Amino acid sequence: MSDALTGVWETLASQAPFFSELLWEHLQISATAILIALVVGGVVGILISEFQRAARPTLGVINFLYTIPSISMLGFLIPFSGVGDATAVIALTVYALLPMAKSMHTGLANVDPAILEAARGMGGTRMQVLARIKLPLAAPVVMSGVRSMVTMTIALAGIASFIGAGGLGVAIYRGITTNNAAMTMAGSLLIALLALVADFLLGLVERGVVRHRRRTRGGLVAAVASCVVALAFAGYGLLAPATGKDTIRIATKPMTEQYILGDMLKLLIEQDTGLKVEMTQGVGGGTSNIEPAMEKGDYDLYPEYTGTGWNLVLGNDGTYSEGQFDTLRQEYADRLNMRWVGMYGFNDTYGIAVRSDVAERYGLRSYSDLAAVSGRLTFGAEYDFFERKDGYQALCDAYGLGFATTMDLDIGLKYQALSEGRIDAAVVFTTDGQLVSPGVTVLEDNRHFFPSYRCGTVVRQEALDAHPELVAVLERLDGAITDEDMARMNHEVESDGKDPETVAEEFLRGRGLLSSGGGQP
Amino acid sequence: MTAAIEYRDVSKSYGDKSVIEHLDLAVDRGAFVTVVGSSGCGKTTILKMVNGLVAPTSGAVLVDGEDIREKDQVELRRNIGYAIQGSILFSHMTVERNISYVPSLLNRGNRERTRAAVTRWMRIVGLPEELRDRYPDELSGGQQQRVGIARALAASPDILLMDEPFGAVDEITRGQLQTELRRIHDETGITVMFVTHDVSEALRLGTMVLAMEGGKVQQYAPPEELLRDPATDFVRRLVERERRRCSLPDDLLGRCEHSGAGSVGGDASSDLETIA
Ligand SMILES: Nc1ncnc2c1ncn2[C@@H]1O[C@H](COP(=O)(O)OP(=O)(O)O)[C@@H](O)[C@H]1O
Ligand SMILES: [Mg+2]
Repeated sequence: MSDALTGVWETLASQAPFFSELLWEHLQISATAILIALVVGGVVGILISEFQRAARPTLGVINFLYTIPSISMLGFLIPFSGVGDATAVIALTVYALLPMAKSMHTGLANVDPAILEAARGMGGTRMQVLARIKLPLAAPVVMSGVRSMVTMTIALAGIASFIGAGGLGVAIYRGITTNNAAMTMAGSLLIALLALVADFLLGLVERGVVRHRRRTRGGLVAAVASCVVALAFAGYGLLAPATGKDTIRIATKPMTEQYILGDMLKLLIEQDTGLKVEMTQGVGGGTSNIEPAMEKGDYDLYPEYTGTGWNLVLGNDGTYSEGQFDTLRQEYADRLNMRWVGMYGFNDTYGIAVRSDVAERYGLRSYSDLAAVSGRLTFGAEYDFFERKDGYQALCDAYGLGFATTMDLDIGLKYQALSEGRIDAAVVFTTDGQLVSPGVTVLEDNRHFFPSYRCGTVVRQEALDAHPELVAVLERLDGAITDEDMARMNHEVESDGKDPETVAEEFLRGRGLLSSGGGQP
Repeated sequence: MTAAIEYRDVSKSYGDKSVIEHLDLAVDRGAFVTVVGSSGCGKTTILKMVNGLVAPTSGAVLVDGEDIREKDQVELRRNIGYAIQGSILFSHMTVERNISYVPSLLNRGNRERTRAAVTRWMRIVGLPEELRDRYPDELSGGQQQRVGIARALAASPDILLMDEPFGAVDEITRGQLQTELRRIHDETGITVMFVTHDVSEALRLGTMVLAMEGGKVQQYAPPEELLRDPATDFVRRLVERERRRCSLPDDLLGRCEHSGAGSVGGDASSDLETIA
């Protein structure tokens, strides 16, 4: 326990600028959603109280929206508002609307009708009664609703990173995808702290609302006003155009190697050009969300895999092989106005790994070698691989494999099962960090059953037209990283607990791609 | 002279339930009408018809000779002081802001004048100046009632509607408030409709008493006439205890201290002599 806390503390201390930026983004995203919900939810609450007949259907609709799981909500929104802060703010606002509208409605509905009759009977207009009597009397109920709405929004904003928005969720998500528990805990802890502080401050305001009597009203107004101003200020940065002309926006998928690659691209671009880089690490859903955002111009470039581009992006059938690379490039240029610039060299594809002692005993090099002895071996893969059309059965058909037994295994447990001898062979990814450890041998796909997934940078042509100097920078990574290099770097992040940026920087420096003055100390 | 308030064949029913039946009544300018009757007989209902909070099912209510349906409701209400049943104050407002509620609605943005008016009304209803910035829950029951009266009077209306305003105070405070109210009436000449379920209060305060039962008028007459000459059995039972307390012969009942003639206003007794 105390070890875990020390780890969290060290993570926070060593990466203070990173976390404070995330904290600020988190505040901006939540504050914007909160402000919009305050106004819209407040107005809706007032309207349905004034026109009672509208209350039931309206609350019904909002209640329904509220029951949509947040992940699905984001999924629905992405086609409309893309990935990024806007979608996050919309989703958070939708969730914040209900508590806001409801507490406003409840607060107003619970004002003593006799008081309202007095206010009306003495000649108050509808607006005067609302503004001078109803709202002030409803304030305590509304305030407690606002408090829970604010803490909920701050907590929920943690999922914003799933769709490429910033905020502390980035730390959580990065911690999960790069096997860094301290990072995840640090992010969660800061979210909890932020929510607690916000709740505490609102508590002060709330006490002001209830106890305004002793003080002048000016005090209360000032307290509320300063809260609103602070929120508005936080929200401003978000809505204001955040990126200038000289900013390159990089996206990465939620995978360790993509974090590392993203950092490499950023370091090189910022060293070699005058451009500023804005990075969105670990966009949830990967290609399916990043690619549409590229088309909309939200991102300028991201690391992609050829096989993924062929099947998922271009929608081609069949197994991609590198012989088709020219066609791939041409279709990207014609259909998407994007270019592949700089193929890093490694190929992150499926592979079959066997325990080294098994490989030695039977002299295994390729899948065909494996076919001869597979009847004596146990094979492991994640559940999904056994289910897919192009998965286990197709593989067996292609090579005439027939394993004695098969076993469903979680991705994270495959290597453990291999080393413990529970399985002899497994489907792996060729850049898995765990491949670095001795004891496993990756066999050759001699008949090219698996599609090729060479990795390179996909860039929008418009970004290249605007900044032609980018081409030279991106080409510096051409052929620079082997499968082994990538696996080793993944290992350093996932097992040695280094952060991706450090790993990226050390690698570039080692290759002489980064001058010693550049990057961070 | 047109009546200040007039009901013309007014009926009110909620669904099948008839609450007021064929009410015909004229309240003279400057009258102090007390409305008395048991709970649920329709007192509050006829009061709220004057400022349009309740609309008659049939018939018409006239204020200053004009059908209130023809008038702008907000305008109408601002010219009629209204002390709601229980004198409920606005709990989030100070005494000063409660009292200046109606003037502030009028947007006569003259702060000085409003402050001066508040000072004046606080003095008239007997509220010490230092209560000005207090909130209602920091006042005694009697003080709250006084604020309610001041709030109803603050815009100097021509008509004052009061619905059981002294319901929740002790006997001594109630007596003081009654005296205060009668004095205000005498000084301003305002037309008052005052609802109560307390017969002695009705007889003591009213220049006219409206006795109601089951949504119908039983008698509308000066207090001494009710005592001396009850129109119905209901009125007889209503005033019986007061009659016994006075233990005066019928023709001298007007001098009874429980009637408006005896205790508060001096000039009513001379009216009595002309009637008697
Ligand atoms: N909004 C309403 N709906 C139905 N019945 C009502 C309503 N308001 C008053 N009543 C009924 O009308 C009758 C007279 O009420 P009210 O004028 O308040 O009596 P009170 O003499 O006690 O002031 C009562 O029987 C009451 O139940
Ligand atoms: Mg009543």
